[in-house]
Amino acid sequence: MTSQHTSRPTGAVSQELIDRFRDLLGEDGLLYEPEELVVYECDGYVVEKKAPDVVLFPTSADQIVEIVNICNEFDVPFVPRGAGTSLAGGCLPVGGGVMIALTRMRRILDVNIRDRYAIVEPGLVNAHLTQHLKGSGYHYAPDPSSQGACTIGGNVATNSGGPHTLKYGVTVNHVLGLEAVMPDGSIVQFGGPTEDNPGYDLPGLFVGSEGTFGICTKVFVRITRDPAAYRTLLGVFETVGDATHSISKIIGAGIVPAALELMDQGIIEALEAAFQFGFPLDAGAVLLIEVDGLESAVDEEAEEIVELCNESGAREVRRANSPEERQLLWKCRKQAFGAIGRLSPSYCTQDGVVPRTQLPEILDFIADCGTRHDLRIVNVFHAGDGNIHPIMLFDERDTEQIGRVLAASDEILSKCLELGGSVTGEHGIGVEKIDFMNKLFTEDDLEVMSKVRDAFNPERLCSPSKMLPTAGACGTEQIERTHPGRRAAL
Amino acid sequence: MEDVTYSETQDDLSRLLKENAAAERQPIYPLGGGTAWQYGYPRTAPGKTVSLTEINQTIDYPARDMTVTVEAGIRMCELGNLLASENQRLPIDIPHADQSTLGGVIATNWSGSRRFGCGSMRDYLIGVTAVDASGRFFHAGGRVVKNVAGYDLCKLLVGSLGTLGVITEATLKLRPIPESTAVLWSSFESYEALDHALDRLTLSQARPVALDIFDSVAAGDVNSAMPIDLPADRPVLCVGVEGIAREVDWQVSTLEGELARNSVKEVVTCRNDRADSLWQSMTNYVTNVESPLVFRANLLPSKTIPFINEACASGFSIQSHAGNGIVLGHFRHELPSADEVMSILSKLRETAVQASGNLTVLSCPDDWKSSLELFGEPTDAWPLMKKIKANLDPHGLLNPGRFFDGNMPSEITGQH
Repeated sequence: MTSQHTSRPTGAVSQELIDRFRDLLGEDGLLYEPEELVVYECDGYVVEKKAPDVVLFPTSADQIVEIVNICNEFDVPFVPRGAGTSLAGGCLPVGGGVMIALTRMRRILDVNIRDRYAIVEPGLVNAHLTQHLKGSGYHYAPDPSSQGACTIGGNVATNSGGPHTLKYGVTVNHVLGLEAVMPDGSIVQFGGPTEDNPGYDLPGLFVGSEGTFGICTKVFVRITRDPAAYRTLLGVFETVGDATHSISKIIGAGIVPAALELMDQGIIEALEAAFQFGFPLDAGAVLLIEVDGLESAVDEEAEEIVELCNESGAREVRRANSPEERQLLWKCRKQAFGAIGRLSPSYCTQDGVVPRTQLPEILDFIADCGTRHDLRIVNVFHAGDGNIHPIMLFDERDTEQIGRVLAASDEILSKCLELGGSVTGEHGIGVEKIDFMNKLFTEDDLEVMSKVRDAFNPERLCSPSKMLPTAGACGTEQIERTHPGRRAAL
Repeated sequence: MEDVTYSETQDDLSRLLKENAAAERQPIYPLGGGTAWQYGYPRTAPGKTVSLTEINQTIDYPARDMTVTVEAGIRMCELGNLLASENQRLPIDIPHADQSTLGGVIATNWSGSRRFGCGSMRDYLIGVTAVDASGRFFHAGGRVVKNVAGYDLCKLLVGSLGTLGVITEATLKLRPIPESTAVLWSSFESYEALDHALDRLTLSQARPVALDIFDSVAAGDVNSAMPIDLPADRPVLCVGVEGIAREVDWQVSTLEGELARNSVKEVVTCRNDRADSLWQSMTNYVTNVESPLVFRANLLPSKTIPFINEACASGFSIQSHAGNGIVLGHFRHELPSADEVMSILSKLRETAVQASGNLTVLSCPDDWKSSLELFGEPTDAWPLMKKIKANLDPHGLLNPGRFFDGNMPSEITGQH
């Protein structure tokens, strides 16, 4: 690596600093006792942990400006945090310092139906926006499975996806503009409620920057017309191979379903135990397929999908017969990770992506990988996008198993790259996958990215040691490596 | 224009830029199909014009993945034909598709009527390769439709007008070609009535993919180019729908009913060839009209009608992608003095800025450009953009002075 990526030593959090923050935010605006900080030592990725020295709860952009100015004065690193549902350590305070929790900034500032936008604060819970829009004929399209807890600011940081992004696109496709506090303490607005503002597309660049460009304080989101009708299908297959064959056929036929999710036998078993939906326990895999749009179109599309599934050897294709049944199916899918606790004391998931036609190959590889490492691996994932989430089951008390889980994860992600894919479709690089950046990108690519970051964050006090690899081992020696992740919501 | 160098491969281009950076450090002016050559500030220094049109190979087209990777010099019509062979498309409407190149479309972020339903280039570019001023290749994104690894430099390069890197290769997400299409049009006695109709369309039971407005003059132009009988004495609204045949039929009858409930003069539905003709007119209008002064304004959709009224009164003909708040204006008279034009444009720009947007001059006489803010009112974000440019192209070799910062005094930018 070149010197471009080197991190530097920074200042420590002193009593004087804490006092300054207390003066600014009041006693209930900060946490600094070690036992209070435990909650903030990790997100959904628990392999590496590091508690911040202080957690701050600002309620306005002006307070964030003050916080950032103080951090700069004391040369202390700072990192923003939403709900902490991310899965790659994106909000891990590498090296400690100040954590800026945005959960008290959760207002919906404006909704404009005619101009199809809403303005929200970053701490707003994703699902709360759609709930607020209910009845207006519009909704906010990105729907990560953690949408009941995750925040829109966090979604902006990681460019979150969700099941329905197959048709509607990920977070960046729905962000028109942002207001952010820059790492130098200035407030800047990029874009706004209108499209195509002259100059570079800074909102597009900022989304997915994992907190390394500044702290988002306001988001201008595009809202989407509600579909008039849904058809939700459950295709039951003898083997995973038959199910992935159907996926290729559906996409190849030019149908873009709203969602196309695969669940294999292992996950079906856990879901059935948890929700008693009536999933067939002897099926190799099921596909949860949803088409949406106009009432006049959805039946024809659904019929075509049923035919294509049957041609690929589906045992049967069931339909959700009522809105309640549809809701239950989606509840099963979105809470799949929660149900895994029934199978194993611990689990770890990955977020690779392959071209959709390579799904059979990667799933064979995953199965093989499980055998070689003597690990049970189950699958529930966004099949239509080629975005896999293999879940490795293990016991975190057994360090030997942990070694096998880490080795298997590495092999699976490397295979995704070999098949022309990526190591992350929606969870982000964070600290977890930072070592893969050198495999995904050339040194020149990383140099260009580093220069882009320098335009926003030249002192690197904002979210240090994230996204881009640093020279040597700077940063990572300051966090504690424990065991592979076991909590997740995707 | 001085001689154009045609690089034959991406490596040739990289070599040329490397040699240039090591020796004479001349400005580099990348060139695609040349259809947007007028866009931006004129060159202030001689340099090398480098054409990408020979760099036009298809790298990979895994149709069943619904992605394609091509070199940037491919002409848009060739790309369209390639994708049509698999019944797929990039749903972005581009005029002069026989000339314009993909790289040029990305660099200028061009889009047309279907952006209301289908989005724009930022929604389709999933991977990119470019060469920087020192001749180094850099990449971002990849070949899969979902990918959050690394900074999204695809977004940064869309609309960057060749100032950050010369785009040599792109991977696009694709969509199926819809089975059927239709365009409905209605004319209105007044803009107020048209605005009311647009407002009601916000909750239409149909899902239009295009909502375009032509003012009376533009409607007359469309008529003279195509066998469509748009009235030429009042504004016209065109509503485009696409999808499977049954869905289009249903939307047509639904919209016929919905539009008729407004004070429209008529509701006319174009199907088949007539629909194709009208789609083509909507796509090509912007380049078909001869005009010495063309602007594009972006504003809140709800504020487009008052803006259009004002622009028409100032001598412009109008096409608007009204659902997105995009307004294209062509000045239709002999140009008055530069001072008068500046005064007209600054009033319109003020209206656009009040409506949360801006106004960009797409073309005007070259010798006026230095005194016009072609890319609109500077915003707080411009100094940051300038920093990105300075970090990626420290010697200012790529299309120098041609983009938004072309005539910014240095005290505004704080840099260079």
